This record gives sequence, structure tokens and C-alpha cells, in this order.
Amino acid sequence: MSEQKLYSFRNPWFSASVGITIVLAVLSALAGLIWLPLAQSDLKLSGIWDAICSAAGVPRVSTQAPSLQPDFKISNVVMTSEMLTRKDAVSIGRGATLAQRCAICHGPQGVSDAHSPNLAGQFAAVTYKELVDFKTGARVSVVMSPFAASMSNQDMLDVAAYYAFLPRVPSNNLDPTIPAPPIVVTGAPMRNIAPCGSCHGDTDTKAGSPWLGGQSAVYIKAQLQAFASGARRNDISQQMRNIARHMTPEEIDQVARYYEAQP
Amino acid sequence: MTTGTDHGIGEAVAARIEQRWAILSIVIVGVLVGMAAFIGIHQATMPQGHVETADPRTLHLSGEFIESNLGSEVEPDGSVTVRAIGQQYSFTPQCVLVPTETPVTFRTTSADVVHGLLIEATNINVMLVPGYVSVLPTRFKAPREHVMPCQEFCGIGHQGMWGKVKVIDKAAFAKLAAARRRLTCVD
Amino acid sequence: MLTSKRLILAHFWLAFAAFGLALVLGAWQMFVRSPLNAWHFNPEFYYRSVTAHGSIMGYVLPTLVAMGFGYAISEAALEKPLLGRRWAWTGFWLVAAGAVVAMIPVSLGWASVLYTFYPPMVGNPFYYIGVVMVVVGSWIWVALMSINLAAWKRDNPGKPVPLAMFANVAGSYLWGWTAVGAALEIIFQILPVALGLRGTIDAGLARVFFSWTLHAIVYFWLIPTYIAYYTIFPRAIGGRLYSDAMARISFILFLVVAMPIGVHHLFTDPQVGAGFKFMHSVFTGLVALPTLLTVFTICASAEIASRLRGGSGAFGWVKALPWANPIMLATALSLVMLGFGGAGGLINMSYQLDASIHNTQWITGHFHLIFGGAIVIMYFAIAYDLWPHLTGRALDSFGLMRTQLWLWFIGMIVTTFPWHYVGVLGMPRRMAFYDYANPAISPQAFSVSMSVIGGLILLISGALFLAVLIRGHRAPGTDVGPYQFAVAVHVPARIPVALNSFGLWLALMVGLTVVNYGYPIAQLMVLPETSVPAVYVGAGR
Repeated sequence: MSEQKLYSFRNPWFSASVGITIVLAVLSALAGLIWLPLAQSDLKLSGIWDAICSAAGVPRVSTQAPSLQPDFKISNVVMTSEMLTRKDAVSIGRGATLAQRCAICHGPQGVSDAHSPNLAGQFAAVTYKELVDFKTGARVSVVMSPFAASMSNQDMLDVAAYYAFLPRVPSNNLDPTIPAPPIVVTGAPMRNIAPCGSCHGDTDTKAGSPWLGGQSAVYIKAQLQAFASGARRNDISQQMRNIARHMTPEEIDQVARYYEAQP
Repeated sequence: MTTGTDHGIGEAVAARIEQRWAILSIVIVGVLVGMAAFIGIHQATMPQGHVETADPRTLHLSGEFIESNLGSEVEPDGSVTVRAIGQQYSFTPQCVLVPTETPVTFRTTSADVVHGLLIEATNINVMLVPGYVSVLPTRFKAPREHVMPCQEFCGIGHQGMWGKVKVIDKAAFAKLAAARRRLTCVD
Repeated sequence: MLTSKRLILAHFWLAFAAFGLALVLGAWQMFVRSPLNAWHFNPEFYYRSVTAHGSIMGYVLPTLVAMGFGYAISEAALEKPLLGRRWAWTGFWLVAAGAVVAMIPVSLGWASVLYTFYPPMVGNPFYYIGVVMVVVGSWIWVALMSINLAAWKRDNPGKPVPLAMFANVAGSYLWGWTAVGAALEIIFQILPVALGLRGTIDAGLARVFFSWTLHAIVYFWLIPTYIAYYTIFPRAIGGRLYSDAMARISFILFLVVAMPIGVHHLFTDPQVGAGFKFMHSVFTGLVALPTLLTVFTICASAEIASRLRGGSGAFGWVKALPWANPIMLATALSLVMLGFGGAGGLINMSYQLDASIHNTQWITGHFHLIFGGAIVIMYFAIAYDLWPHLTGRALDSFGLMRTQLWLWFIGMIVTTFPWHYVGVLGMPRRMAFYDYANPAISPQAFSVSMSVIGGLILLISGALFLAVLIRGHRAPGTDVGPYQFAVAVHVPARIPVALNSFGLWLALMVGLTVVNYGYPIAQLMVLPETSVPAVYVGAGR
């Protein structure tokens, strides 16, 4: 008769399986949460409860020596993927007014003849960050620093929104026949250079990476050289310095000429 | 094995053979697990002992992962702490400098997405998860250069994320450490 | 007698068509990142392909095979038409639609996040919605398996559940429970971010949820293979199953222990405590047990068949096995690959050894060997075995089938063995290309090229497989009789209720989940400071 009850300790299957499971769980918990942590002297645990909490994953703050502070100003902008991606008509309108001052160098439509960057259609987060960095001194430019110093945070948000709203005007140097140089398409993996387009918008966008298409070759080259020498240091956690310092001068030229000819 | 049929002897034999194999299998599994625990305690590598958190948004603003604090630092007890971050698509410091025959602790985190840090020709292998600090104690034996790729998909520039580790003689490292407080081998 | 033939065929055809497509992508991927290809191409295509290949091979193929095979088992083992056929068709169309919905954004490059998702990278929401649809469609199957078994048990009180159905339902429960992890991750974490309702996500917690699904899903993939070992293979070679009870115990062990061990995928992660990593390690060791038991039982069953044919000697009986039979060949090749793949798995499960090969190409080689090799070769066998019963036509191009199976085996070995080797050399995973000229990487070049050749062999084998199945639709009609499963040597008249029901095992499975996952998940959920900004992928945003 198979009228045996399943959930009863008289059923050998029930008692054996529940028993073994419990024993294994308890033993492995004791070993993993108490015995093993305490056996590692380098963890400096202060007793059983500390061992259990540590091994269970209770977060703790470890006391570190005070951090070595930089001897230069670093960018204090917090970049996130969705920063300033929502259009705000009021902000754009205010920005349009403010941008009249910018037109001297950056052109009335945000397209420059003076080798200063074209701002039309640039990601708002990028324009905003650079303005903030100019103001705080994380990025230094004889021309831009005074302009930025007189702008409030809201001004900078507005100007950035305005320029992002402007359509990208195809550059005078548009040339679809220039083949993409290898350093642009595939980068140079062993020199830690990812393809430019993986951050700068051609294939994917990393927050804070400017759109390079149509930018002045003179400007691009100057910035890459500045990153490579460490003269420009407002790239958060050296993300551009890591790349530029391993680029050869020929590659910098190629990149600058290529992107100048892109839409 | 447990049923009430009348195949009698044949069934009993089959059952006995099966039981012996089952016991052997359990012993094999037990030995493997026991070995893992034993070796874990008596050799170097065990999983990270504590969970620590870090905010990827503000790594560059304050705390131990600001740019100027990254790199190799000599602790008062002579050991070395290497602080590094992973980001799309490089590690900072791009080239990590470490001494031979010294306890080295890597403290790392991610500034954006999940990365991995693998130092080739070693068993140093750790995930960098944004929001958490990965801690790995280790030791290097001989002077040489290692490549340090990111081993986890972190976006379409992932294949460009190769850093370097340079292991130099303990004495040479000490000389450099006397001059600068955070060492890297980035030119 | 199978009455839901169209339903089952629909599942298999969709599975194998998607499989064929993914196989082509896989071969392309192997070629394009090898030294045989001059690596000047847009890496995004590679990651797009990997996302598609992984999603199809991981979510579409095995789910549909398990579902189709499950319906066939239900009808054949319980000897009654499927209850709820209309629901079954709904499930099928949900899976099909979900696959399409997911693949559209992937093909357009809007969701190159890989089949493991990896937040905080987030792609187009329709990719995730498609995956959810596939899972929900499969949950309809889970429910139907339960319902059909319950109806049969009501009509047959106290009788032993046929082994094939017992294992089938165990597999469905395992899937139902393990899919919950990824479902929680997608529904509560990823989709709100993908749809723009939230901007931050806890990447560590997402990885823990995914690990809940990630390990047991491979056992969900594996159960149809083991069902074939236990219930098709002995019959196909003219023998009997060595032990019915041991078979049930194996499936029960999978049901209980396959799921609460996922943290071994997070050994090197910083968000889980070392204590839980150890506990998961112990239980992972335990899940090796049912495979060890299975290998014994299947080899013993083979020995029975061989001796019945006149085989003799301590090892000589192997020669007397019916090697001309494709099912015999497939099972033997599968067990060989299972041996190597399983050994690799034992290495992965130990923290210390795992540290050397975590996220290197060893891992990729491992799961291709064990899943693409040992498991999928039995999917072929299952298809071959069922085909005449589904089409009503003969499937007798045995020579072609054997060639196809040999090519799959050889291709898999040639692809995965060098793959394991370059992993040991430290080659990282998931890179679109490598600079083989660099001295750190050049030792890996030859092995990677060998793997490409293996990939080509697999491609040919896959094409042959589809050719055999298509031919099977065109062959002359034949009556093959009812579909039958293997019979045990000692047929149980009555078996313990514990081996005939699932309540106890489900309770243990859920209990172990709470013990092994409860605290890590709860801890991460209450931490506010680990929610990090999402990083949206896809060009030009």
C-alpha cells in the first residue's frame, strides 16, 4: 500500500532528505560564516559576530588613510548618461539670448571659422561640463576662462541646452572620400586605445564625450596633444589622457583630418 | 532498490552495486569540497572578506579613488596598496607598478559599468562592479611585465581595454617610493 | 499515441530554425575575431551578433526543445492526449513572438548588451520585453505539465508516475522557479530603467538575481538530455534501464540542488559575502552527484543491452553495442563530452581554480563543450527519435545521421579544446578582436585559428541536421507504432511516495533558496547607496 505519508518523520525519505539538507546547510554555513573567516588572520576580525557579518556581506567602511589630494584643479562635474538629455524649451530660449556673446568665436549658428569648436548640435552635457570646468579652473583657456567666470550655473545649463538644440551644420570640409583610419575604426587595443566612435557617438555614446564630426582639425589636434602631454586634465579620471598619450603624431593628424571631414 | 517486487536476488545485487557507486560518488564530492576549503585557508586566495561600497558618480571628487590617490602606495607596515578604477575604456592607472615579494592589496572599483580586471600569467582576477569596492590581496614573485585586460563586456570599446602591470625589484620600487607617494608606470 | 504532432513539430522547427541562424552567427563570430581575419571592422557588429547568438542559443532553442519534448512526453508517457492544447499553442506563439520582438532591436544595434544583460548597461526595452514574453510562454508549458500530471494521478491513484513524465515535470518545476530570478531582475530593475521611469539601478543586486537563474538554467537545458539518456537510449539500443529508482533520485537531486548554487558565478564579485560564496560552493559540489549517478546508470544500461546481444568481457562488451544506431552513437559521444565538460565544471566550481580562468575563454569553451556539445547532441538524438512519430514517415538515412553526429562531436572538440587552452593562457572573453601581433597574445593565435575550423565543421553538421529533418518530411509514409520509453530491468509496481511526487522536493528547493539567497538579496535591496546611474547603449543618443 502506498498510503505512506510523505510529510512525516516516519517516512525515511522525508527524514533523510530533510535531515541531510539541514545538516549540509548548517555545516556549510558554520564553515563559511564562522570558521573560514576566523581562520584568515589577515581579515582582522574582532570575534564571531564580526566574522559572521563580514562573511555574510554586511557592507562596511574600511578606514583608509587620508587621500593624497591633487595639486591641480580637477573637474567636479558628475556625469551620467541621462544628463541634460531632456529638452527644455524655456532653457533653450534663455540660452539663445546668452549665446549671442559666444557667437564672436563660435559663430552665429554655432559653427566656427576660428578653429574654436563648433557647438551646434553638441551634446548638452558636454558643453555644460566644459563651461563648468572653465569656471572652476579644471580646464584653462585664456579666452574661455573669463567668459565662464561670469556665468552662473543656470546660464551654463541654458547655453548648453541651446546649442544642443541647434542642428548640426555640415562642415565646409565635408569629405566622404576620406577612408576612416584604422585608429578610428579599431583603435589600438594593446595601446589601450578603443575606437573613437565607441564613446564619441559614431557607434555609441559615453556621457561627456563630445561629438567630433565636423570639428576643426586644428582644434582636435591641439586637444589631443594637450591630453597627451597632461596639459589638459579635465577628463575625469584620465579617460582621455590614457588614450592620447599612446597615440602617435601621425595618428593624431589622421584622426583630426578624418573627423573634420565628417558630418 | 526499495520496491516490493519479486525479482529477488538480481534486484538485490543491482541495488548493492548502485549503493556502492553512490557512496563512492559522495566520497568523491566530499573530498573535492574539503580540498577547496583546506587549500583556501592554507594558501593565498580566498574570496573577498568584506563587502564595501563606493559611489561611482563621485569617485573623482572625494574618497580614496580620486585621481591623485590612485596608484601604488606603501603602507606603514611595508605592504603595498594599489588603488585603481575601471571605466569605459581604460584602467586608471593605465600601468600599475608593483614590487616583488611584498604583500600587495588591490583596491578597485568601477566608475560606470561592470568591468573585469585580469592580470595575465597570474590568478589575479576580479570583477569591478559600480557601487562596490573589490579588494584582492596578492603577491608578485618575479620582475616582469603583464598585460591587464578587462575580461567583462563593458560596451563596444571593450576590446580596447588593455592595461599593463609592471613588476619591479623590491629595492628599485622602494627607491621610487621614497620620491613619490603614489607610483604608477604611466611614462 | 501522439496526437499533438503539429504542436510538437512547431516547437521543434522554430527551435531548429533559430538554431541554424544562431549557428551561422557563431561561426562568423569565431572567424572574425581570429587571426584569420584582418580586424578592421566595426566592433559593434560583433557584440550585436554575440547578443543575438547567445539569446537564441540560451533562451530560444533549449526552451522550445524542452517544451516540445515535454508535450511529447506528456502524451506518450501518460498515454492520453494533451490537456490544454489551446493554451499550449498560446505559449508557443508567445515564445515565437517574444523571440521576434527581442531580435528586432538587437538586429538594429539598439540592444547590444549580450544575453547576460549586464546592467547598468541598458538597451532598448523591447529586447527585455521579448525575453519576458519567451519566459511567460514557457511558464504556460510549466503549468500544463503540472496539470496533465495531476489529471493522470487522479485517474491512476497510487501508480508509479512514468519515469519520463516524472523527470519532465521535475524539469518544468526547476525552470519555473529558476526563471524567477531573471524575471525579477528584468521586471523590477532593468525595464523601469529601459523605459525611462528610473535612472539608477543596483548592478550588484542585478547580478545576484541573474545568478539565481544562470546556473539552474543550464540544468533546465540538460534535463531533456538526461531524459533521453534514461528513457530513450536503453530502449533504442534494445536494452533496459538499469534502475528506475536511481533515475528518479537523480532528477530529484537536480530539482533541489541545481538552483540555490548560482553564486558560484559571482565568486570574484565584490557584492556577495565570502560565507555565501562558500555555501554555494558546497552545494555546487553536491550537484555533481546526480551526474555521477547518471553516468553509472547509463553505462550499466548499455552493458545490459550489449550482453543481451552477446557482448562479453570486462570491457569487450563495448564493441558489441549497436554502433550503427544513431542514438547509440549520439549518447556515447555525449557522455564523452559530458566527461570533459563536467571535469571543467568541477574546476570552475572551486574558488581557487576559478580565479585563474574566470571570464577567460576557458569559460566560453567550457559551456560550449557541455551545452553545445553534450546537451545539444542529445537534442539531435531526441529529434531523430521522435521524428517518425511526428511526421508519420520513415527516418532512415542512418548513414547521414551518423555522419552528422560525428561531425558535431569532432567539430565541438576541435572548437572547444583549443578554446579551453587559450583561456588558461589568460585570453579575456568577449572581445571583438585581438592584436595577435603582440607578444602577449601571439601564443594564442594558432589555437584560436583551430577553433575557427571547428566552427566550420559544426556549421556543416548543423546543415546536415536540418537536411535530415527536412528529408524526414518527404520520406514515404510508414506506421511506426506508439512512441515508447525504456523499461526498467526491475519494473517497480509501487514506489515510495517520495519518489512519485514533488511536494517535498519543491519545499526543499524553495527552502534552500531562502537560506542561500535570502540574505544576500535582502541586504542588497536595502542598500540605497549602491544604485548607480544607468548607461544607455545604442548609437547617437
